[in-house]
Amino acid sequence: MFKLPNRTYLQPIVVLATSELHGIGGLDGVRTHLAGNLITRVDSTLPGPDPQVVSSTQVLRTTFSSIPVVWQSELAEDYQELGEALGQMTELDEESEWRIDPAVCATACFIATGLMINSYPAPRIFAHGPESVVFNWSGGADDLYLTISANKVSALISSPERIKRRVEFAAVDVLDPGVLFPSIQSADPERSITSRLNGAIPDLYELLF
Amino acid sequence: MGWGRISDGDNLFRHCIHPNSFRGRSFLPEKFIYIKAAPDRSLHASLVWERFVPTTGLLHDSGCRLALHMNQGAQAGGKYEEENKKIYCGAYQLQANTIRALTGIEGLEEVASADVVHSIEGEEFAHADLRIVLKSGKTPNIEGTKTAIVTYLWAAYRGPLKHVCDCDKDAKEHPSSALGVPPRGRYSDTRSSIFRAWSIVRYHICFWIWRKLSRSGG
Repeated sequence: MFKLPNRTYLQPIVVLATSELHGIGGLDGVRTHLAGNLITRVDSTLPGPDPQVVSSTQVLRTTFSSIPVVWQSELAEDYQELGEALGQMTELDEESEWRIDPAVCATACFIATGLMINSYPAPRIFAHGPESVVFNWSGGADDLYLTISANKVSALISSPERIKRRVEFAAVDVLDPGVLFPSIQSADPERSITSRLNGAIPDLYELLF
Repeated sequence: MGWGRISDGDNLFRHCIHPNSFRGRSFLPEKFIYIKAAPDRSLHASLVWERFVPTTGLLHDSGCRLALHMNQGAQAGGKYEEENKKIYCGAYQLQANTIRALTGIEGLEEVASADVVHSIEGEEFAHADLRIVLKSGKTPNIEGTKTAIVTYLWAAYRGPLKHVCDCDKDAKEHPSSALGVPPRGRYSDTRSSIFRAWSIVRYHICFWIWRKLSRSGG
């Protein structure tokens, strides 16, 4: 008979396409926001020094207290793949339709971190030019897209019939999806599909996932 | 150079190339068309006009040539890799009026005008240019506009018309099998047989004249 663990430690991580944390332009605010959290490398095979470990207790206490370990592990794996894919996209040939700029990759990794910390499923990704990468979730008839540039993020909710909502953000404002998704919901309410998009995050979460 | 205005009811096609429109083996609907931003912030994409590819065979011939030219370009630049070989998989159809309707769509208020014009590109007589002009000062993030346009266009397409080029017949798993069906459904050619015959005759006459003019430097 094996002994069940009576205590489990969860590992909050930052999605990194590279170990290089320096030289990320235009994201000082994001870095400051992350400074209170634990930053660690997703892919230990990546070259370069280990990122700085600051503190994990606050994150453990406030964010991960109710999330099952297995689910978090699967989530981390999905986001690790996402981080690796984003990193590879920066290394593609300049003529590739999938290549993205390093600054776009950096912003996307920070936003992915916020999504993961809030336990959102890993998005599909695609690009339509080096200046942005798009995160996409499909759910039923609607799709949610976050088009991430180096300093801006555009949110789009669309169905096959019509564009339901578009909202623009500065990248530093969307690190925390707990803020992002309610912002998408609350913007421009007179044009919204109020019956489906009003309410708190769980409503949108259920709609999309 | 163009050979006439593309009428609202005319069909246009977009070729689908692997791996450009795929992630691994999975087809990505949002990647079936690649919209490029010009320095003046207008947006452009390539299509082919049915008038000058009036049969499915001619349509697919142009798709196979497109993939071949892409591979030849990569080889000439020393960047060709067999694993990234461009493979033509098929085409999707939409009508010109769907593109022009982009002006005034709710949620895309930044679009000042949208049109598709015949614009011969190299040897591709059927090439058409999708041109979208944005209002100045009303586009905070052009990348977000691209995403919205791509999702709108995907919802307007029909297809796919799948195809395997002769040069790809040996492929074990041809990626055309992964092409998705757009929300509007599959495409079927509803042209009458008489109109179809007339379209083929018109194409051959126009193509012959164009070749003559091209060779004489006209």
